[in-house]
Amino acid sequence: MSKKNKKARIQLILLRTLAYAFILLLCAMCLFFFVMLILMSSRSNSQLQGAFSISWGGHFLQNLRNAWTDASINIPRGMINSLIVALSSALLTTYFSALTAYAIHVYDFKLKNAIFTFIMAIMMIPSQVSAVGFIQLAYKFGLTNKLWLLIVPSIAAPVVFFYMKQYLESVLPMEMVEAARIDGTSEFRIFNDIVLPIMKPAVAVQMIFSFVGSWNNYFMPSLLLTKAEYKTVPIMIAQLRSADYSKFDMGKVFMFILLAILPVMVVYSLLSKSIIKGVTSGSVKG
Amino acid sequence: MKKTEGKRRRKSVSYSKWAYIFIAPFFISYIIFTLTPQILTVYNSFFENYRDGLTQIGPNFVGLGNYQKLLTPDSAGVIDVLKYFGNTMLLWILGAVPQFAVALLLAVIFTSSRLNIKGQGLAKSIIYMPNLIMASAFSMLVFALFNNIGPVNKLLISTGLIDKTFDFLTVKVSVRALIASMNFLMWFGNTTIVLMAGIMGIDQSLFESAEIDGAGSLHVFFDITLPLLMPILSYALITSLIGGIQMFDVPQVITAGKGTPNMANTTVIMMLNNFLSISKNYGMAGALSVLLFIITGILSMFVYRQMAKQYKR
Amino acid sequence: MKKLVSILTAAMITLSFAGCSAKPASGGQEADAQGKVFHIYAWNEEFKGFFEKYYKVPEGITVEWTIVPNEDGQYQDALDLALMNQESAAADEKVDMFLAEADYIVKYTNSEYTQDIKALGVTDFSNTYKYTVDAASDANGVVKGVSFQCCPAGLIYRRSIAEDVLGTSDPAEVQARLDSWDKFNEVAALAAEKGYLMTASYASTFRVFSNNTQSPWVDKDNNLVIDPAINTWMEQAENFVKNNYTLTAGIWDAEAMAESAKDGRAMCYFGPAWFYNFSMGPAFGEDAVKEGTDSTGDWGLVEGPQAHFWGGTWLLAAAGSDNPEMIADVMNTFINDEEVCSNLIEKEAQFTNNQAVNAKFAADPEYGNAYLGGQNDTALFLDLAKNIKFQNHTNYDQLCAEGLQTYFVEYLKGEVDKETAMKNYYKYLNEKFPAVHTPE
Repeated sequence: MSKKNKKARIQLILLRTLAYAFILLLCAMCLFFFVMLILMSSRSNSQLQGAFSISWGGHFLQNLRNAWTDASINIPRGMINSLIVALSSALLTTYFSALTAYAIHVYDFKLKNAIFTFIMAIMMIPSQVSAVGFIQLAYKFGLTNKLWLLIVPSIAAPVVFFYMKQYLESVLPMEMVEAARIDGTSEFRIFNDIVLPIMKPAVAVQMIFSFVGSWNNYFMPSLLLTKAEYKTVPIMIAQLRSADYSKFDMGKVFMFILLAILPVMVVYSLLSKSIIKGVTSGSVKG
Repeated sequence: MKKTEGKRRRKSVSYSKWAYIFIAPFFISYIIFTLTPQILTVYNSFFENYRDGLTQIGPNFVGLGNYQKLLTPDSAGVIDVLKYFGNTMLLWILGAVPQFAVALLLAVIFTSSRLNIKGQGLAKSIIYMPNLIMASAFSMLVFALFNNIGPVNKLLISTGLIDKTFDFLTVKVSVRALIASMNFLMWFGNTTIVLMAGIMGIDQSLFESAEIDGAGSLHVFFDITLPLLMPILSYALITSLIGGIQMFDVPQVITAGKGTPNMANTTVIMMLNNFLSISKNYGMAGALSVLLFIITGILSMFVYRQMAKQYKR
Repeated sequence: MKKLVSILTAAMITLSFAGCSAKPASGGQEADAQGKVFHIYAWNEEFKGFFEKYYKVPEGITVEWTIVPNEDGQYQDALDLALMNQESAAADEKVDMFLAEADYIVKYTNSEYTQDIKALGVTDFSNTYKYTVDAASDANGVVKGVSFQCCPAGLIYRRSIAEDVLGTSDPAEVQARLDSWDKFNEVAALAAEKGYLMTASYASTFRVFSNNTQSPWVDKDNNLVIDPAINTWMEQAENFVKNNYTLTAGIWDAEAMAESAKDGRAMCYFGPAWFYNFSMGPAFGEDAVKEGTDSTGDWGLVEGPQAHFWGGTWLLAAAGSDNPEMIADVMNTFINDEEVCSNLIEKEAQFTNNQAVNAKFAADPEYGNAYLGGQNDTALFLDLAKNIKFQNHTNYDQLCAEGLQTYFVEYLKGEVDKETAMKNYYKYLNEKFPAVHTPE
């Protein structure tokens, strides 16, 4: 008996070592590029024009100062704009996608299957397809430089809906909804107070993804936001890259990219905690 | 009996009212901000409609002319769209296979209570980091590493592995490998998180009872984790496929928009971008989009069916 | 002094404007009332900086800038949309002036979205360089804008290498050995014998050839034309790569730039003043000194085989503007105001579009560029700029040139045969420009 136990323990230790080695290897790969980014942001423009070097460039603080106080490109402003857009989009997209997924999952209604198939179909249309028409229409109606125009459309996100639907399928017991109904809880409260908490891990995951997606989004905002006070971070980076030759500064560009990652890291670490919490309070299935 | 049935029906009618209320915001937003522009796209595909400099040409109705143009083979018998589609799928598969293998393994390791991995929070943050760097910035870093005088070439030469600079950014195999690895690196963390959330959603008591029964890890994985993870796994696969078909920024930046070499890395969306970027060729772009929609639809349905079959088993 | 000038110009403008306002080109607007907002479109901050420092905005007018990055043609997209909506836009929302580069200026000058600036009161071009005026003129010779800078380019050679290869590093003597393409190609062979590269990139000389073509990239019937000069470039590039006279790196690649460092092998680069003042990082500047790659003083500047230009920013007058007087005033200020032009040279390291002011600085015996071993580059550019031609330009130039370089280099690298390279190039153009017919 004890021999068997010992064998199992050795096996476990071996497995664990392998697992840690695997994780370390992957982390090293990921960190490598991050470290490289930091190295690049420590180098001046002329250093960056030459051959790549692994050494510390020694211009980190100078690049940081240049980037932060750039007279024409107001990073703090850009970060606030990006934060407004990314956060609002993430909230709207997850809430309404979850709500829609819940409706399709829980209720039996005439158009249920038709609607589900419809959303699945539209999910496959490349986003570039509608982007072009969207911009045409936005210009036609004079809706440039409106942050809300980048936020409100995120209410309808078929991919997020699909995730929520799949998630509900694997976690939500119908009995729970029915029990709440018997208690006389209104449909809205059932969703908000009972279902949403169960979906917390899924919500957190999709919040992160849509936040990151929105934060890094360049194509659409760059065409819609032309005034300095509304510009988001990716537009500012592109603007730096198209600066004229005398002010063109790749060191500043890399510093900008580095700065742009930080807020996302913060949001990520906050939300990943809630994913973990979702597990510990996760045994919802009776 | 009849009475209760009637009651039930009335009840379900009142519930479907809620269903419609709940899905209303999604659909209103969708119709205004997505469907309308999309219909415009389909409509455009039947017209000659582009700009020559600042001169607008069209819209002139051409029926299926744009589709015909798109599907006409060149002198060597190659239909460009199909070639680009092949490129796209190949690039996606090259990245997605390791992406899913690694993500699945990682998700199981992280969620395993037996292994009880420490420092998970940190590890999860790190593997997600490549996803935070904008694709264009990431490509710039890869450029710096792999160009002809970059550190990779220097290292390979100094260790004697190669005796002449190797042009990573021009040779077909290496460009493809670079694009696939970048996609892998950018997305495996994302997939891991999705799958982990899926595994966490699975009733923990199932794992506990399996453990009590003395089931091995492999057994638990194939008989409990995988079947219950199917909805989320199929979600991840389908969205990855959709993302793969829309692959654009990495190959665009790495090949400077030219699909180097010999257009072997031109993706469908890069072609779409070529139509749209200068001449606003809504006609051809519309036709390409519709074609792409049809192909993606068929593919996704196929994947979804396969998944469903597995799921039932 | 400055005030006097501006009063004078203002008077001139009003006079000439009154004289010309009957012309239909001014758009037939009731132009007596000036708009309150002056709207400028640009892709970066360069001109904005000069404008804010050196231009006194008339009272009661606010200047609004719309800056859209150049990346992926986004600037032109935004500008085009604004211009197309110009008629329906409110007076203060209208575009008044916008900036354009040589690569795509023709698209705007040949359109109805720009207007005749002579009619607005910009009439004195006695001091501006001819090519800058040609560039801003439409097919009928109507001038639609001005450039506030001039970017003549030359051949930048490595003195030590020239000494080794040609036995001299004196600009006049070097020029005598490099003043035609035949001589240039001969010297390339000599340089290679000594282990040097003639140029660092296969595309180094491209711009010199493409600035001196006989025909435009796309002819009247919308057919793509590969000009004899471009064919010559292709032959040269093929020959240079085959014989190791150059590298297959692009002009901006680190690989090509690194050859300008202390231990670099490249004898010639081609470019205007901004190229060596700001873009040759491994060769010049504080960091180059720190890294030990500095080659300051080891360079010289000559005209080379053919005159050409590279870069430059033009200001164009948007049709339908509600601020025609101010457009004229801004343009006159940046080409004819001596004080402003002097400031641009002295404080901003620009080579201006005012020959008289440039000449004043060129004649300064004290002046010299340290990178070039004290050579007075302004004096050389002063003459060079007169030989520059702006001709045979079309809407399509930028991608025709860029596409050819990138697809052709695949052939030079041996990835595809020549025929396939050209076929890929045509396919690329077909996707980008549906109106252009390519061979086959």
